[in-house]
Amino acid sequence: MRNDNKKSVIVGVFVLVGIIIFIAGILTMGGQQKKFVKSIRLNAVFDDIGGLQTGNNVWFSGVKIGTVRKINFYGESQVEIVMSVENEAQEYIRKDSKATIGSDGLIGNKIIVIYGGTTQAPPVQDGDRLIAVMPLDTDKMMSTLQENNKNLVTITENLKVLTTKIAEGKGMVGAVMTDSLLAESFKNTMSAFERAAVRSNVVISDINKITTNLYKEGTLIYDLTNDKETYQNLKSSVEGLQATIENTKELSDGLKVTMDKLNDSDNALGLMLNDAEFAEKLKSTMINTDSATMNLNKGLEALEYTWPFRRGFKRMEKDNN
Amino acid sequence: MAESNDVIKPVLTKKLDEFFSGLAKAFRFVKRFFQEVWFPPYEFREILRQCYEIGYRSLPLISLTGFIIGIVFTNQSRPSLAEFGAASWLPALISIAVVRALGPLVTALIASGKVGSSIGAEIGSMNVTEQIDAMEVSAINPFKYLVITRTLAATFMIPVLVMYTDFVALMGSFLSVNANELVSMSTFFVQVFEAISFLDIFSSVIKSLIFGFTIGIVGCYKGYNSSRGTEGVGQAANSAVVMSMFLIFVEELLIMQIVNAIRYA
Repeated sequence: MRNDNKKSVIVGVFVLVGIIIFIAGILTMGGQQKKFVKSIRLNAVFDDIGGLQTGNNVWFSGVKIGTVRKINFYGESQVEIVMSVENEAQEYIRKDSKATIGSDGLIGNKIIVIYGGTTQAPPVQDGDRLIAVMPLDTDKMMSTLQENNKNLVTITENLKVLTTKIAEGKGMVGAVMTDSLLAESFKNTMSAFERAAVRSNVVISDINKITTNLYKEGTLIYDLTNDKETYQNLKSSVEGLQATIENTKELSDGLKVTMDKLNDSDNALGLMLNDAEFAEKLKSTMINTDSATMNLNKGLEALEYTWPFRRGFKRMEKDNN
Repeated sequence: MAESNDVIKPVLTKKLDEFFSGLAKAFRFVKRFFQEVWFPPYEFREILRQCYEIGYRSLPLISLTGFIIGIVFTNQSRPSLAEFGAASWLPALISIAVVRALGPLVTALIASGKVGSSIGAEIGSMNVTEQIDAMEVSAINPFKYLVITRTLAATFMIPVLVMYTDFVALMGSFLSVNANELVSMSTFFVQVFEAISFLDIFSSVIKSLIFGFTIGIVGCYKGYNSSRGTEGVGQAANSAVVMSMFLIFVEELLIMQIVNAIRYA
């Protein structure tokens, strides 16, 4: 009887441990695969899912957030993927997020990758459809590579022709490579370039020194760039200069008008300056005036000694003295 | 005329007739099991004793085998995966292999060798020594006491043993992976559980229940119908192992097809 009890206890413990292993396995797996968490359904429609299967993972920012629940044909030849995404990730996936098909490692399972999305868009809701972005098609990649290979063949053929010409001494490069005189000349040119570069360095260094000195404290440029007061003074001076320039401009405009008028013969001065006939008349008038004046002087001198005016002239002479 | 009455004329051929009548006999045996299992007396004490014998007494052998399988399978798989630079996939591979197939299959094969043969030999020797007849005379239903108890014990103990085997095999695999790929235990088990699904675990349990039932019923059938004589005991034990192993493989194949049909439905 006692032996039977012992066996019962042993069997009980044995079965219990077996059940514990089973339940632990179920819970661990369920927890890890997020089978027991609340989730929402999202979907996306692809032209080609490239072997994606039900149960494959859904990633967002490199984190597994769900699994592919259903794969249905949609429309004419498209495929609709229904994903189960855990509630915790819902607020981070925006309505303008995109879904594409990727791979879990180089030879890994296919996965759905959700990416992008802006904070301006609201979070996704149960049943929302994400924008599907077609993954890279390996066949297309291979055809592009094939095209590249063809180009590479052409390039290498051209390169072969070029190197052959160079080796034969044809062309500029070939001549440089094979003609010793040309090579020497090229070498001299390069030496000249080198010397020029050294001198340029020296010049640049000098300019650098000058600019450093110009920028020392107390210099005009330093004050201009750092001292606000000097800058304000200079600014007001420049403004004053600007006003002066404007006044000068007005003056020069006036002068121009005056000069234009002087050039015209419709006014007195213009007529005097520009009309030769008038000048000639004026000259003869002046000559006449001169002779008239001389005659007038002579008449006045004669009047000085004449009776009614003699007394008056003497008085004027006396007052002047 | 009298001579023709003594010789029974075969329906098909003698061998085919024997095969089909054996099949019918086995079917009737299984049918009787399902008819009687629901009704008392339930013989709990004997079921418990058989659980102890089949389950607990098989544990050391199963554990050792499972552990070795874990290590060996990991070491054998490593070069193939390493060739593709995918040695990090070892935990996932081992997990799928152990949970889906190796655990239930190896446990069932070991149990059919150890338990099936012992059931066949035990009931066979009881049959040879007419103890079964004596039970019937003593108003004890030998079918209930011998067949149902052992079959039920095998049916329920094999799944428990499979859990142990899975666990121990994964631990063995972990030791190998840890030593070679320097993978921590948490990472290893994360990858292990990442690779399997509920369907894998439930199919493993259902499979091991069926394997357990097969081992128990085949052992009992062979022992119950052993030929009288000492030779019959050995034959019953031997044919119980061979037949249960054969049926286990057939069942494995069928269950795998059904599970895959569900998996990719």
